[in-house]
Amino acid sequence: MAAVTEQTRTAHRPKPALVVWSSIVLFALLFALLTYQLNASQLPAPRPVLVRKVLKRRVVTTVVPTPGRNTVSSSGGSLAEASTPSYAPLTTGAS
Amino acid sequence: MAEQDVTFDAMGSHVRLLIGEPGPGMAPAAEAAERARAFVAEFDAALSRFKPESELCALNADERERVPASKLLRTAIAAGLHAAEISDGLVDPTLVGEIESAGYVASRAGMAGESLDVALRGAPPRRPAAPNPARNWERFAVNDDAGVVTRPPGVRFDTGGTGKGLAADLIAESLRGYSRFIVDCGGDIRIGGADALVHPYEVFVEHPLSGERAFVLKLGGGAVATSGLNVRIWREGDGGYAHHLLDPATGTPAWTGLIGATALGDTAVEAETLAKAALLSGPEDGRSVLADRGGMLVHDDGRVEGVGALAARPRIRIPQPSGTDG
Repeated sequence: MAAVTEQTRTAHRPKPALVVWSSIVLFALLFALLTYQLNASQLPAPRPVLVRKVLKRRVVTTVVPTPGRNTVSSSGGSLAEASTPSYAPLTTGAS
Repeated sequence: MAEQDVTFDAMGSHVRLLIGEPGPGMAPAAEAAERARAFVAEFDAALSRFKPESELCALNADERERVPASKLLRTAIAAGLHAAEISDGLVDPTLVGEIESAGYVASRAGMAGESLDVALRGAPPRRPAAPNPARNWERFAVNDDAGVVTRPPGVRFDTGGTGKGLAADLIAESLRGYSRFIVDCGGDIRIGGADALVHPYEVFVEHPLSGERAFVLKLGGGAVATSGLNVRIWREGDGGYAHHLLDPATGTPAWTGLIGATALGDTAVEAETLAKAALLSGPEDGRSVLADRGGMLVHDDGRVEGVGALAARPRIRIPQPSGTDG
């Protein structure tokens, strides 16, 4: 009985060459299908690259009233005091 | 921070230079200051309308329509035309006859002026100045390739309106590479150098009525300039008061309701032009003139008003780059 079963199994086992070739054919088919899909799909048109030169100028401006004198009319509250620089005062005025 | 600090008189005013450490391979600050002093002397000799031997006076007297001109004179005329253009003719460099008729024929450097306070009481009704419809400045052209200036003979040019600012800008160009520097040509001030961004200079704004240093600006770059009525006021023959800022539309001194204007700018020429244009525009339009760059207006009653970037307390202003939207 055991001998009969073994013979049956051997008879139903696929040949190695068939398995190999089937795998190759299946791979080729899938590869072809994917390649086709990739080519057939509508890729968006490449957008032109806009190159901009971005210039940012930073001007640091601080307004500080001379202690105990005026205030800027459009601002309220007390402002920081002027420091004591190492150089003699610079003044902008009519000339 | 050790800096070369040099002051001298020129262009009917004072010039002050503060120059920091030189960059690699650059001349010592003292040498740069000496070169700047020589340049200012050359500038003044070529461009003063009070010196008959100056190249500017020679141009104004020349009967040819097309006159050869040095690079310095061409640059000065181009700066004056630029000022007229950005102020739409309010800062008009062709009012030589008018300023002479008003009594400003010779330099008033060192002369004691009349009191602004008194002059204001006798001044005519206030009104904004306006451009001269003749727009004579548009008849000037500078051709750098040919090295000439063209204009109708007889139309005279005064580089004085932008002269100090231009001098400050040109000296500043020569100081590129120094750690930080400030060029003060009679209150038209240009600042530069990388260290100035870290250690800004303090610049006081003089009040035109009291003469006191009313405010201080901390500036890490760019320029600031002030235009005011307080330094050149004189009596006319009829007993009235005159000053040097003319209404181009009438050719007479402008009394607009403002006695001083301080403007910020990228260059000293720009700041000087904006300050003059704001003062001539009067309180309402003056705010618009200064709104973009920032500045301060001083009204007839002495009230000080901050505009634009200077309207609020300490802040960082980041101007939008022009010509791009990104």
